[in-house]
Amino acid sequence: MQILFLKKNFIESNFINKFSLNNKDSGAIFSFIGKARPKNQSNTILSIDIELYEKMALVQIKKIINKLMKKYLIDDYLVIHRYGKVKPGENIVLIVVAAKHRKESFRFGEGLMDWLKVKATFWKKENFADGSQWVNQKKTDKEFIDFNL
Amino acid sequence: MKILYFAKLKQLVGKSEETIIIQKKKKISQVINELKKRNEVYNFAFKETNSLQYAVNCEYVDLDCFVTDNDELAIFPPVSGG
Repeated sequence: MQILFLKKNFIESNFINKFSLNNKDSGAIFSFIGKARPKNQSNTILSIDIELYEKMALVQIKKIINKLMKKYLIDDYLVIHRYGKVKPGENIVLIVVAAKHRKESFRFGEGLMDWLKVKATFWKKENFADGSQWVNQKKTDKEFIDFNL
Repeated sequence: MKILYFAKLKQLVGKSEETIIIQKKKKISQVINELKKRNEVYNFAFKETNSLQYAVNCEYVDLDCFVTDNDELAIFPPVSGG
């Protein structure tokens, strides 16, 4: 049960393999990797700066996890989120969930990601050749929270 | 009270944090109104307070929440991680 905020890119398979080995009795291992896209519509993204309010992100992610753990029976989880400068193609987020059965792991992982998008205190700024812009929260993400609150 | 600014708001205010003395408890909306009176930079940064999010000691709150000098108030645009 681990939450990590990493400045440098990471090799997801290293974490997933170790996690899987540590959860030999779980029948399902769910993993999701969120990556930095190379384009925003037609604009080429050179890099993304991710700002983090670490103390609050940790509090909020733990709250989300506690909430989901009351709903879904899981054995273990790992959450990794990058901060600092991220290049296109690099990993931004990794979620790995171990559970006895697949559906619990899917639902826990999806729920964690949905809530993380609207509660965890990270902000992305996309850098282009001719400037940069802060990424707005997606309307669909906002609708999710309005619906689920 | 410590105030933290993040993302675009940090750019607009021109700093990531500051400490202010409010002496008695106040609503966040009152604190912001006082900041807006300081100068045009703050006035512009807090032009649309409804589009910002507020947290006291790492918990989301709204503008009507009371704060004291012992609190850490964070103000920021909606998050965009993941």
